[in-house]
Amino acid sequence: MQLGLNLNVNDTVPETMAKSREAERLGLDYIWISDLPSQRYAPVVAAAAASATERIRIGFGLISPFLHSPLQVASSLTTLIEAYGERFELCIGPGDRDQLRRVGVDLDRTEGIPTHLLKAKGKIQRSLKDRGLECKIWLGAQGPKLLEIASSFDGVLLNYSSPRMIEWTLKVIHKAKGKMAERVGIFAPSYVYKNFRPEIHRILQYASATVALGASKSVLEQFSFSEMLEPAMKRFASGTHESSVLKLIPSIVIEEFSILKCQHDLPAYLDELRRLRVDHVVFAYPQGYSMETIRELANALVS
Amino acid sequence: MRSWGVVWSTVGNMDLSVGLTTSSSIEMVKWLAHNVDDLGLRGVWTGEDIGRPQEIFTVTCLILLETKRVNVGIGVASPFIRNITTVARAAVALNEISPGRFRLGLGVGGLQDLASMGVQVEKPVESMRKIVETLKGIWKDRKTVTSKELRLKNYKTSFAPADIPIFMGVRGPRLLSLAAEIAGGIILSGPKEYVKESIKLVRERRVTAGLTETDFSFVLWVPTIMLSGDRDLELAKRVVAIVASDTPDKVLTTADVSLDEVNKIRSILRRGGAKEAARNVSEELIDKFCISGDAERISEVFRSYSSLRIDEVVFGPPYGRNPRDAIQQVAKAWGRT
Repeated sequence: MQLGLNLNVNDTVPETMAKSREAERLGLDYIWISDLPSQRYAPVVAAAAASATERIRIGFGLISPFLHSPLQVASSLTTLIEAYGERFELCIGPGDRDQLRRVGVDLDRTEGIPTHLLKAKGKIQRSLKDRGLECKIWLGAQGPKLLEIASSFDGVLLNYSSPRMIEWTLKVIHKAKGKMAERVGIFAPSYVYKNFRPEIHRILQYASATVALGASKSVLEQFSFSEMLEPAMKRFASGTHESSVLKLIPSIVIEEFSILKCQHDLPAYLDELRRLRVDHVVFAYPQGYSMETIRELANALVS
Repeated sequence: MRSWGVVWSTVGNMDLSVGLTTSSSIEMVKWLAHNVDDLGLRGVWTGEDIGRPQEIFTVTCLILLETKRVNVGIGVASPFIRNITTVARAAVALNEISPGRFRLGLGVGGLQDLASMGVQVEKPVESMRKIVETLKGIWKDRKTVTSKELRLKNYKTSFAPADIPIFMGVRGPRLLSLAAEIAGGIILSGPKEYVKESIKLVRERRVTAGLTETDFSFVLWVPTIMLSGDRDLELAKRVVAIVASDTPDKVLTTADVSLDEVNKIRSILRRGGAKEAARNVSEELIDKFCISGDAERISEVFRSYSSLRIDEVVFGPPYGRNPRDAIQQVAKAWGRT
């Protein structure tokens, strides 16, 4: 199983560089540089992280081809790989619906999302191949329509954490093509701790609630979350302040979308994921909140 | 606009920088990034060749990361081929790497390049104004930004406010006037007569708008090539064939360039390519569009622009047959003057 840390949420570029260096020193396999429209531009941050490290693999994404053209994504990867070697991987997916809407990309009115993603993957790979370069491309997916194309990618990254949801996902993927995705990973808001800090737990709840509220309708229906989340969704759509939305989300939903473990409980959870064939785990924000939270994760992994 | 009190060679009131494009190889980018601090230059500018393999923001990032002293600028990137928030987010990240050294240059982009990407810019002046104002709004504070034209609705960022100098690489009186009004500097290219007229227009516009002259920089970036043989001359002719063909007729007329000569080159370029077109490039045309000669002559020609009140001249590309040697020689010659 390979383990990674998600960076580039609120940090400045020098802070991300320092955290990348620390993640490498602590023996993590990957850092994943996210690319939400509200955040710093991922290719620049990925270059900075690569310059600060030597070996650690750098995941780049989730990148939305609805925001960045496949040629732009390919040219970023070309520059990164030619400058720092083949230690980059890419994850593409539709992206955060709410954030994309704010920058003029309306996924709700976009037809044929799976086909668009497959075409984007093809264009990126062809462009890299023309330069003699290679890069693994993951699919960031949730709902059945996207999961059906997962086996066409080098791996699938799911942004929920609960074993029962992962189990369902694997069945959907297998049923669609008669085979599994080459690799299965999860990318979930995480807080693995030694000394529990309520303020970080609070951030975890926000991050997890954001993922849940942006989840595919079919996933929410499959797990009977739709009804539970309806009041929060209405409040969220009206632009109401985050804290009042959070209060309306049942804690069980938040738990299904996040990893909240004390150091001693993490190994058992990872064993459970291994049993399910998950071989890649990305501990997303707020695990990368500070050097301390990164070290607490690393200590848990060593134990 | 000089805020740095460090070691670079200023001649008269003018500095020398070096230019790259996204067509440059990563080896060239890395070499330059590794050496430029020691060459006595003011900075590095990277231009976006649309559709070429390297990515403008990532290349600029490599240079910022590797250097300690020089200014590093984008000169220029087109905001029309990407979401405006991508420009805003990339610029903020670049500025954070080394606050005060990064400069963002924006331009419309070549019309043919834009068309090849399915982009049509109908109102470039209005659009560029909106883009620059919106970028400044995004960087100014953490308030939400809405713009119907740029399809932003309650857009909010997670990064701290930033003050990033914007340069514009534009042509034509209306865009030049806009740059005079809203940018921190302008990157000019073209025959000397045209450059002179452009500077005059920009300065007049700034006076009219009540803006000070000292807060604005004029940068000159013309193809430059160090000649050390016939092959270099051939390269210069090819570059001039392409550049002259892309130059609007109005600019050609201002510079007293024969439209018949350029039209003939355009026609051959379309049919037979740059090599064929280069055969019809006269020495006079080379002098109009390209700065060439040995290192001393290139420095002299650069120096001659100080009378036009250019603040910064940019060497290259295509530099010459041996770009690294050419950059070092021109930098040395500049330092001697």
